[in-house]
Amino acid sequence: MNQNLHQAGVKLLNALSRNADLIMQVYLSGTLHEGDASPGALDNLKKLGILWRPEAGGPLRLKKAVRTLLESSLQDERNRQIDTNIGSTLASLKTLAQHYKEALAHHRYAEAQAHMNDLSEHVYALTESLGNSVRALFSRINNEFGYVASIDAKIRENELAQNQVSELLSQLEMFRFDELSDVAGSIRELRHLLVVALQQSFARCTQELSIAQSRLLELLGRFREFRGKTRLLKGFLLHMEQQPDFAPANYANHSQVPTLFNLAKPLLQPAAVDVNRVDHEQDLLLLVGRIKALHRADKPIDEQRAAQSIEVENQGQVELDDKAIHQAVEAYFCEVIDTGQRLTALQYLTKQGLDFDPEVWIYQVIGGYQGLAEEDRKFFALEPEVENHPIFTGNNIVRDIELGLR
Amino acid sequence: MISEQGRILERLLSGDFICEISDEDGWRYLKQSANFEAVDQYLSTLNRSLSSAADGQVYFAAYRTLGEGERKVLSSQFQEIAAGLLPLVEWLLLVQQSSGSDVPVTQGSTIRSNELQTTIEDTPAYKEQLAKIARYRLFNSNSTEVVGQLNLVFKRLTELGYLLRPNPDKQIYIATGKIDYLYEVLRFIDETEALSLAEQAESAIAQGSLL
Repeated sequence: MNQNLHQAGVKLLNALSRNADLIMQVYLSGTLHEGDASPGALDNLKKLGILWRPEAGGPLRLKKAVRTLLESSLQDERNRQIDTNIGSTLASLKTLAQHYKEALAHHRYAEAQAHMNDLSEHVYALTESLGNSVRALFSRINNEFGYVASIDAKIRENELAQNQVSELLSQLEMFRFDELSDVAGSIRELRHLLVVALQQSFARCTQELSIAQSRLLELLGRFREFRGKTRLLKGFLLHMEQQPDFAPANYANHSQVPTLFNLAKPLLQPAAVDVNRVDHEQDLLLLVGRIKALHRADKPIDEQRAAQSIEVENQGQVELDDKAIHQAVEAYFCEVIDTGQRLTALQYLTKQGLDFDPEVWIYQVIGGYQGLAEEDRKFFALEPEVENHPIFTGNNIVRDIELGLR
Repeated sequence: MISEQGRILERLLSGDFICEISDEDGWRYLKQSANFEAVDQYLSTLNRSLSSAADGQVYFAAYRTLGEGERKVLSSQFQEIAAGLLPLVEWLLLVQQSSGSDVPVTQGSTIRSNELQTTIEDTPAYKEQLAKIARYRLFNSNSTEVVGQLNLVFKRLTELGYLLRPNPDKQIYIATGKIDYLYEVLRFIDETEALSLAEQAESAIAQGSLL
């Protein structure tokens, strides 16, 4: 028989997993559109007790047990049902405990064990359902009944939740731990289940419920305040529509002006700068530094600085015969080596009658000197003949360069 | 270094409302009765007193004794408040309706102006409502675009101290305690003029002529 049960369970779970899409669709939408699924699968699911038809001709729905399973596993906040039927569960717990004790007394240990298993199942189911109920309440509080849009609906939901809390609390009062401990007697396992486990869950549950209740009241107060404010706004608008010329009496003329309208005129103006305060000096300096002083008009007109018209014309093509000038520079260096005399570049230029531009020539000589290898350069000394610019100080003009041997 | 008290005094005397959103430190400071007394004492030299509204959610400076001049100031201020009521109420309802959560704007509510803009642009009724609101003298917009109208409304409300923009790079605004002050003003007018606004709204809802 055990084997059969195992097989049937596996078959059921397999059916669940095979039709997972379908079941989730029914879970989310509430009912099944029978056109969407194959009739064979539907028959199978109906036979297994996963789907059922509450009324003939009505749509198929998920069985409560499957729905509860999904809700508790998915922590779905739509789970708004709270199981408050604790009284009957407690009664069945007591009955089972009696069975267990009787079986023990007659030394039927196998039977006793079965009762014990049953009993633990019930106790843990009870604690779990208590926990779930509280969790469902809290999830509703935490999103402030976000699943309904209007404030009025929120207030109704809140009232429903408050009813459920008080229901739960009154059910919890049915826990009589003295009775339960009498039932448990001196049997350790029973005591553990009926007294310790239940008491722990009871204590946790009552504590959380009392918090939930106070939060609910607080929320209700807030919702009512919201509703009051909305009505105030809408009412005012309505009133203004009906009596567009409505103007409240000027309360400021009453002998007792209401505190609400007693608003003093702004008094303070920004303070002025005190230049004699030493500790402000730094800040003031910064401020002064940021001032952009423009004193152009005070300066005498300076011809050199005055704007000049710039003539833009095509640059004449300057072509340098690289080779010729290179050879000339080399010849100049050779001349210096040969004679051993110091010779300025321009002197050489005129002496040889070369027709290079003097400036280009000087540049090329400097370039030739820089272009020498390090050890070759050591033999030469290059000295520019520098002249200061007549007007703009700091600018030097190289008039000529003198090359000699070291 | 300016003391906390000095800072708060400066804000109060500049005509600011101090609430948990606009100045949390200052608000907590004033919540302690000893500090409240001290600030009040200080203000008394300037014929001001420390006043609070909306269950202590906002603090502001009020006149201690009212002379001719003070009454004149209060009178013109009241005119301003009364003139601003209708646009503000319409604005609050617009934000509440378009946010879809049916929760009124109160202190600490965040408003994302770009989300609001998308909703309003998608709904012709909201568009009309916004255009109407923006044309009030309080906002005085002559823009025909939703963006321009919204930006102006947000800018004005921030200037008036109803909204706070914590990060100038982001389009997120937080409602300050001054919004709750506004509700208080409405409630006061409702009671004093015996308008029974809430009942009017309720009966209108019951009759189905929902706003």
